[in-house]
Amino acid sequence: MRSIKRGLRSFVRHPLANLVVVLLLFVCLTFSLSMLSVKMAADSQVEEVKKSVGNYAELRVSSQYQMQVFEEQREQDPAKRQAEARKMSEEELLSERTRLMVPEELVDDFSRQPEVASYDKVLETRVTLPGVESTELASALSMRGGPGSESASPSQSNSFLFEGNTDGASAADFLRGAKILVEGSFYTYQDYLQANPVVLVEKTLAEENGLQVGDTITAKITGAEGRGSEMELTVKGIYETVEVGQEGATRDPMAFNPAGSKFYVPLSVLQALNNTPGYVELGCYYLDSADSSFAVQKYFQEMVSDASEEGNRYELATDYSDFEAISDPLHKVARTSVIGLAGALAACALIIVLAMAIIVGGRARELGVLKAIGATDRQVLLQYAAEITCICLAAVILATGASAAVSQRLGDWLLQEGAAAEQAVQPSQAQGMPAMRFMSRNLYKEGGRFSLPGSRRQEVELDVVYRGGLLAYGVLILLGISLLGTAVPVAWINRLRPARVLAME
Amino acid sequence: MAIREPGNMDDLLEVSEVSKVFRVKSGEVRAVDKVSLKARKGEVTVILGPSGSGKTTLLYLIGSLERPDEGRINAFGEEICRPDADLVSYRRKRVGFVFQTFNLIPSLTALENVTLPMDLDGVPAEEQRLRAEKLLAETGIEGRLLKARASRLSGGEKQRVAIARALANDPDLILADEPTGNLDSATGRVVVDILAGLARREGKCVLIVTHDEGILRAADWAYQMRDGRLRGIEL
Repeated sequence: MRSIKRGLRSFVRHPLANLVVVLLLFVCLTFSLSMLSVKMAADSQVEEVKKSVGNYAELRVSSQYQMQVFEEQREQDPAKRQAEARKMSEEELLSERTRLMVPEELVDDFSRQPEVASYDKVLETRVTLPGVESTELASALSMRGGPGSESASPSQSNSFLFEGNTDGASAADFLRGAKILVEGSFYTYQDYLQANPVVLVEKTLAEENGLQVGDTITAKITGAEGRGSEMELTVKGIYETVEVGQEGATRDPMAFNPAGSKFYVPLSVLQALNNTPGYVELGCYYLDSADSSFAVQKYFQEMVSDASEEGNRYELATDYSDFEAISDPLHKVARTSVIGLAGALAACALIIVLAMAIIVGGRARELGVLKAIGATDRQVLLQYAAEITCICLAAVILATGASAAVSQRLGDWLLQEGAAAEQAVQPSQAQGMPAMRFMSRNLYKEGGRFSLPGSRRQEVELDVVYRGGLLAYGVLILLGISLLGTAVPVAWINRLRPARVLAME
Repeated sequence: MAIREPGNMDDLLEVSEVSKVFRVKSGEVRAVDKVSLKARKGEVTVILGPSGSGKTTLLYLIGSLERPDEGRINAFGEEICRPDADLVSYRRKRVGFVFQTFNLIPSLTALENVTLPMDLDGVPAEEQRLRAEKLLAETGIEGRLLKARASRLSGGEKQRVAIARALANDPDLILADEPTGNLDSATGRVVVDILAGLARREGKCVLIVTHDEGILRAADWAYQMRDGRLRGIEL
């Protein structure tokens, strides 16, 4: 304790030399701690992104297979095709209708992987509602026909888009806030299991047709005739479509969110209406983490793609590329900050070693005196360790305060520099990307066919906040440089011969 | 007066056939060559010799700051050249050094320089202060000089502080290396008187190495050292 007191006294008694060392360390430590906080912020931001992007996978019929089927159908004579269809059995007809669909069983099997946190099954198709009219849809159809064209046929204006899934609340449009339930309630998983004929209706459409919660509407079952060709659907809830501009400032201005006249029903009900029992359009899977994306892809290759007769029939689309696009600048910032941190820490190490070599070298006579009057090596060492710790502590405290002020700016600057460098390296690719992306199929979670791929992009921001971990790292850095600094007097004490230094004039 | 006969009970220090060799580029330098001497409590022993004669090396050997290559040094009835000798305790409690260049710690005050050996020995702070003030007063340092940094003191004041520091833990053996070397003659005389007083009044064993023959006036025993060899001088 007395040695430590002597060290503290020595720290105070050598203000100029110690101030110089403190200032030099302060500069390097400010940079180190800023870089560290930027790295921690970038890592934390990546983890945050992982929660919403990159952890989604979709099992669906591949684009390649779709093109193949379209090509086949285009090459066939329509009359011949109709004749062939007439000869088909019920089973063959179902198989023909579901060529571009995924068996529900496959979707369920795929969900049994440990990486899948939750999943849903989706079917989207058109259903005719004889008693329901949509002015918006009718005017859209008449506009498509152009001036002088005849008004839309009843079958067209009564044909509405239906989306079926296992739980109304987990439909992508509701999850991402594009649509909000304003009246009634969502259909549930129980409704799906029991195939309860309930439906969610768009507010404008409901008002136009005088529909309220509890009312029923009649839907035609595809391909069915006579008795049993219709189904009564009870309105369970009414939803409102959120205007694109109101969804949030970060929303892509090109995003498309039509009010439309879409109906939401339990999947089993829509399968019955579409006459495709046991088939869905896609299975969507929310994974436990973006990191699981590769494991799921591997499983898909082994268990689905390679195992099926038509290897290219299904595809597993993920949003991992979106995660990469979003997290890449953050990873770059993290990497740069690690390099900066390492450099700054090396500078700190160099400064403390050189400074202590100069300080202790200059006080060699003092060391000799201490040993001559009976100080043990331990006493001398503790005294110097206390003084060095004071120097480092002062620098760390000052640097912690300063880095709180500069790290956000440093982080923003690194992020901007990274983005600018990326644009400079790939200008042509960057320009060409929106068009290329537009051609690709969207994911269901992004609103499916009614959204533009550009809206997938998120604005990357770096929120550098001080965390407890930073304090722990600060203490570690303090200990590290203090120990390194103490190594210098240790070396001096070991090789010092008091008689030599005391005899010096 | 010849070299003292062995076997006296008051002998505090006995150096027997001690040699110290330094290896330099040009070969070996025998700084101390088979030196034997004795020193007694209450007496001043002076070793006279020119620069480079080996007298400081001999002093450092006695103070355990150097280890001899040959011979034995017995102080306070213990062999200090043994590998298991407690040299820290010996330097802290048994020996007090006074150097030509004072060797005070410049960043500390006069008072702190004197309390330092006591602090290392674990003496309570208040006791340190009282004892240091008393010792400094005895050597003529009082008032504002107590709080003055060592770097701001004059040569004479520094040497007085150095003597007070040497006495801090009340050692019986005072080793003084050219204590008047950096002082004017008047101040030098005062310092020698203080050292002699320590022997006469407090019964300390004072060993002074110097090239200043004037110090011989305070000596009880004197030796001449030349080329590492020691011989007695008649006073």
